[in-house]
Amino acid sequence: MKYSSPLTILTTLLLLHETLYSTMADQKFIENTCKGTPSPNLCLKILLANPKSQNSDLTDLALIGVAAVEDKGLETIRQIVALKRSRPKLKPTLNYCEKAYHAVVYADVPSSNEALRGGLAKFAEDGMADSAVESQACERSFREHGWVSPMTDSNKVMNDVANVVRAIIRMLL
Amino acid sequence: MRSQTSPDVENPTRTSLLDADYGYVPTLDPTLPPQPQETRQQPSKPILLLISGLLAIGLLVALIVGNVHIETHDNDVPSPERRNPIEQGVSEKSFGLPGDVPPFSWTDEILAWQAPVFHFTPGKNWMNGPVFYKGWYHLFYQYSPAAPVWGLIVWGHAVSRDMVHWRHLPIAMETDEWYDVNGVWTGSTTILPNNELVVLYTGSTNDSVQVQNLAYPANPSDPLLVNWVKDPANPVLVPPKWINKKDFRDPTTAWLTPEGKWRMVIGTKVNKTGIAILYDTDDFKSYELQDTWLHQVDGTGMWECVDFFPVSKEDDGLDTGVIGPDIKHVLKASMDDDRCDYYAIGNYNPKTGKWVPDNAKIDVGIGLRYDYGIYYASKTFYDQNKKRRVLWSWIKETDSENSDIKKGWASLMAVPRTVALDPLTGSNLLQWPIEELDKIRSDLNEFDEIKLEPGSLVPLDVGPTSQLDIMVEFELDKKITNGLSVAAGVPYNCAGHGGAGVRDAFGPFGLLVLANQNLTEHTPTYFYIVKDKKGVYSTFFCIDQSRSSIAKDVDKSIYGSTVPVLEGEKLSMRILVDHSIVEGYAQGGRTCITSRVYPTEAIYDNAQLFLFNNATNITVTASLKTWKMGLMTKNESGWVWLGPSLILVVVFFFVVWTWQNQRKNRS
Repeated sequence: MKYSSPLTILTTLLLLHETLYSTMADQKFIENTCKGTPSPNLCLKILLANPKSQNSDLTDLALIGVAAVEDKGLETIRQIVALKRSRPKLKPTLNYCEKAYHAVVYADVPSSNEALRGGLAKFAEDGMADSAVESQACERSFREHGWVSPMTDSNKVMNDVANVVRAIIRMLL
Repeated sequence: MRSQTSPDVENPTRTSLLDADYGYVPTLDPTLPPQPQETRQQPSKPILLLISGLLAIGLLVALIVGNVHIETHDNDVPSPERRNPIEQGVSEKSFGLPGDVPPFSWTDEILAWQAPVFHFTPGKNWMNGPVFYKGWYHLFYQYSPAAPVWGLIVWGHAVSRDMVHWRHLPIAMETDEWYDVNGVWTGSTTILPNNELVVLYTGSTNDSVQVQNLAYPANPSDPLLVNWVKDPANPVLVPPKWINKKDFRDPTTAWLTPEGKWRMVIGTKVNKTGIAILYDTDDFKSYELQDTWLHQVDGTGMWECVDFFPVSKEDDGLDTGVIGPDIKHVLKASMDDDRCDYYAIGNYNPKTGKWVPDNAKIDVGIGLRYDYGIYYASKTFYDQNKKRRVLWSWIKETDSENSDIKKGWASLMAVPRTVALDPLTGSNLLQWPIEELDKIRSDLNEFDEIKLEPGSLVPLDVGPTSQLDIMVEFELDKKITNGLSVAAGVPYNCAGHGGAGVRDAFGPFGLLVLANQNLTEHTPTYFYIVKDKKGVYSTFFCIDQSRSSIAKDVDKSIYGSTVPVLEGEKLSMRILVDHSIVEGYAQGGRTCITSRVYPTEAIYDNAQLFLFNNATNITVTASLKTWKMGLMTKNESGWVWLGPSLILVVVFFFVVWTWQNQRKNRS
């Protein structure tokens, strides 16, 4: 087959056009989904960071979101472990936060994944709602004990990401 | 995982001492020479003495620890007195939080208090389909063994003679087939005319498709139904092509149609319309989808746990499938969208297979709810033993997952409630805790005609208040009572009113449960009456969690709804308090609210009970009865020790007698 034959070129162009079109359609789908969340830009950042989002339905997008919560949770746990060494005075509160983020990563995330795969999205919503609660509880516990929180950014990100994913999951109900 | 809440009374707590070897020596034959027996069989005397001594000490300890009643309420609390309303402050600040709230952390002690005592809790669980079979009530519940969070679900199993005292049995069904490897989900039991029992349940397959499977008891003559067999023909029903493979679950109990077929209902959805579809079967193995749907309601989303049963004004309980001229049918569904259980009363035509609501304005999913608090995935079953219909529901936690992991459990069942058509209104159901719960009442306290003027707060001295059954009646000005009517067109909205601290002309007034002395934590259960522009009064019944705890990571919603009050009726509520769960029933169960509360200070001895009237314009007279509720509280375990104590006494004396005998024989 000659690569320069008109037929080949036409087919290739058509294929490219199709791919472009469907990518644009996927992009539109992702954008519309994110518009329904409290932080559309954050939502786009999370979803587009994963190449699989291009071929995803709503459940898959939600699963990508839950994976982002998991990643952020693990990152925050690592941060807490480091803070325990550098800020030993904050240890009791940091211990509480560590448990809170453990609940997120080892209870809420697996539960949400299982629920999304099984079609019982409401349990996934509960899992994401709780993830936000845990991050807020951690942040508050510093204030309540009279400390300035060293993790405000992380807690805020977790809260925001969890709320975005929760909003995506609600669209499944 | 936390061990079960209370020892099973049918199997009093076994002590390990009973399993020990007491060194029993058989009676000696006097004709045989003593020497060989002595060296061969007789244990040494010091050891015997030691064992007897230990037994005696153990017996003594058991008797003391078990039988002494430990006084738990503070003897310094004064007898009920009215606090000066002006002192208390006739303003919202009466119930406000003080300015500086101390820092708070969940301790094990605070978390341990939360475990309920007379509600069903096997650990981490979701619920399922109860049934009465061969003298036992069976509860099969959705159980997540791995963690106090939803996950891989199996069927937990417990049995009871009275639905109050439970015996836990092994897991009934595991995720051991490809068609339920991702979850053994909700199902229903149908009892066939020959008293055979079949179960149809939803399995989540290895591809997460929702299918219906058939199972039956491995041994039908086993009243405990311990072992189950899954039919090799499973799955017997797969989702029709026109609905989503993950929107097909929770089959109902089946009933016989006039054509002699078994009919059951499954809830599902098409776009945003919730629907209930019908299947007919002869053998529970092959099914015909009926062309007409039982019912549908636009905009309600997925219908889970559909329930369908007959009611009538004459009968308190009817078996599924009963039809007749005076029979109405209740259609109920759990709305996936908003996590609430809705029901509607209407008429079912067995020939057409259609059900039509009496009032389309309060159709399924948009009208009445079984319960206006936390109450989901409920199911009824017909109790042929006592000819009543009983309702069970799953009550989840509303605290943080972190707390659930710490305390080791999550979720419980509400108390079983009888459900029947309200004979007076005909337009709503009545729910009431089953009468068997009356058996675990004790320590009655009665208060007659306590006058509550505007701004009153009256502490009630009833002893410990974490486990209470309270029945209270309020009498108001006749003018108002006569004006109360069945609420029509008023939105069900306690949350909109703002809670018990917001004062109105005619409310709120009621009880404060799980309240500490300075009221930094309290849970009001109350009525408030609202008069609309036409002068029509509506009565709201609410439970307010906004000040139930100083902890910030717990739900603080205000739940409730309007409640129909008929002319001349006093306002009445029954409140069941069981640690972190509070259930309220207004007007004999016309409106019910289940609440989860997680106080940090109003616990153990600090939990108190108050009457209050925060209305500005009416004086209310309250009469109430309170009972302590309990299966085995820490202080009432005395009689459980009686059995083992007696056995220890007998053994002790036997050992001593044997020893004495040996001494006699040798000397």
